[in-house]
Amino acid sequence: MNVRNRMTAVFCRIFNIDLILTDEMTARDVPEWDSLAHIGLIIEIEDEFGLKFTVDDISDLKNVGEMIELVDRKLIKT
Amino acid sequence: MEDYKKLNDYPYIDTVHKVLMSEAPYMSGVINKQYTEFGKTWLDFFEADLSTFFRDNNEALQIATRGYIKFALDGMLLQKRFDKTRQYESKSYEQASAEVYQNEKYMHTLYLPGIYLSHFLWRHHYIQHLFFIEKFVPMVKKHGGKTFYDVGVGTGFYSREMLRCIPGLQGEGFDLSPSSLSHTKKMLETFNLAQNYRCNLQDIVLNTPTKPASFITNVEVLEHLEDPVAFLKGLNKMLAPNGLGMITAAITAPNADHIYLYNSVDEVAAQAVEARFKIVDSREDAAYQPLKPNDSVPRNAVLIVTK
Repeated sequence: MNVRNRMTAVFCRIFNIDLILTDEMTARDVPEWDSLAHIGLIIEIEDEFGLKFTVDDISDLKNVGEMIELVDRKLIKT
Repeated sequence: MEDYKKLNDYPYIDTVHKVLMSEAPYMSGVINKQYTEFGKTWLDFFEADLSTFFRDNNEALQIATRGYIKFALDGMLLQKRFDKTRQYESKSYEQASAEVYQNEKYMHTLYLPGIYLSHFLWRHHYIQHLFFIEKFVPMVKKHGGKTFYDVGVGTGFYSREMLRCIPGLQGEGFDLSPSSLSHTKKMLETFNLAQNYRCNLQDIVLNTPTKPASFITNVEVLEHLEDPVAFLKGLNKMLAPNGLGMITAAITAPNADHIYLYNSVDEVAAQAVEARFKIVDSREDAAYQPLKPNDSVPRNAVLIVTK
């Protein structure tokens, strides 16, 4: 599975709904996506990909596309 | 959920909301959440505070909100990591001090704006302030003393509230961070209260003031220390007999500079008693309901003490 597909699975697990991820998608598009869900998402992505994020990594993320880019960048470095 | 947007005339809160919406939309619900729980009183207090502190500097408010986003995210990330170990990251006071208190950029762009806005945007911090207003301030007024020490001034919020709520008081603030003291000075100047206050860059354990004050405030300092009891003993010497103090501490709330882990208000109270304080009142509040029963939640312990 590529990063996008694995991210989709993570989002579906966290929000317990079927989602099709788009790069432009933000918390405004998913009513359940509040701050607690957001941090749950970050930790679940860390576990899924074996990564560890810093607050600097995640504080400027604007949308799903940037989250996927972040994971891609981190995976290249590992 | 109530929607504050149905009410008009909250331009400063609108600025905070706009920054949250554009840069961290997952946090933007916090304003309506607080409004729903605490009502229009909360909105009015928050708006008045922002308008006095930031005046016409909209850009500074936007920067502060960005600092808050990062501060809150950092705390939430650490909270999740804390769930796995139930320990704070091992750190000495010297390390925390170098990373945070003596780091002027970190203090002014993230830490201080984060704490300032958290007084309004975090449920347990706002409840702590309500407790201060509803319980501590009436006791202070009834006591009639005229002096107070605020030890660990942070943003200057509680020094300012003492002076604002109890006219005629004279206060002194103590801190080891020049950034905290300069923020406090600015806070008091913008609220036109600086004439009754003095800032001291001073370690009260090594150099305890000899003249006791009628009142002491000590807000969320204990968890930053390696030896809170030694600090509390110093604090006890600073309080006059029959004086009153409000002492608070963060419980199960990891942060970049939190060293000493408290698990309950009882642990904080036990240390205060060891330092020869008498407990007059206490409470403990959670920041939010956990998503899962075993998830930890940041909480606050608040004590009113005397001696």
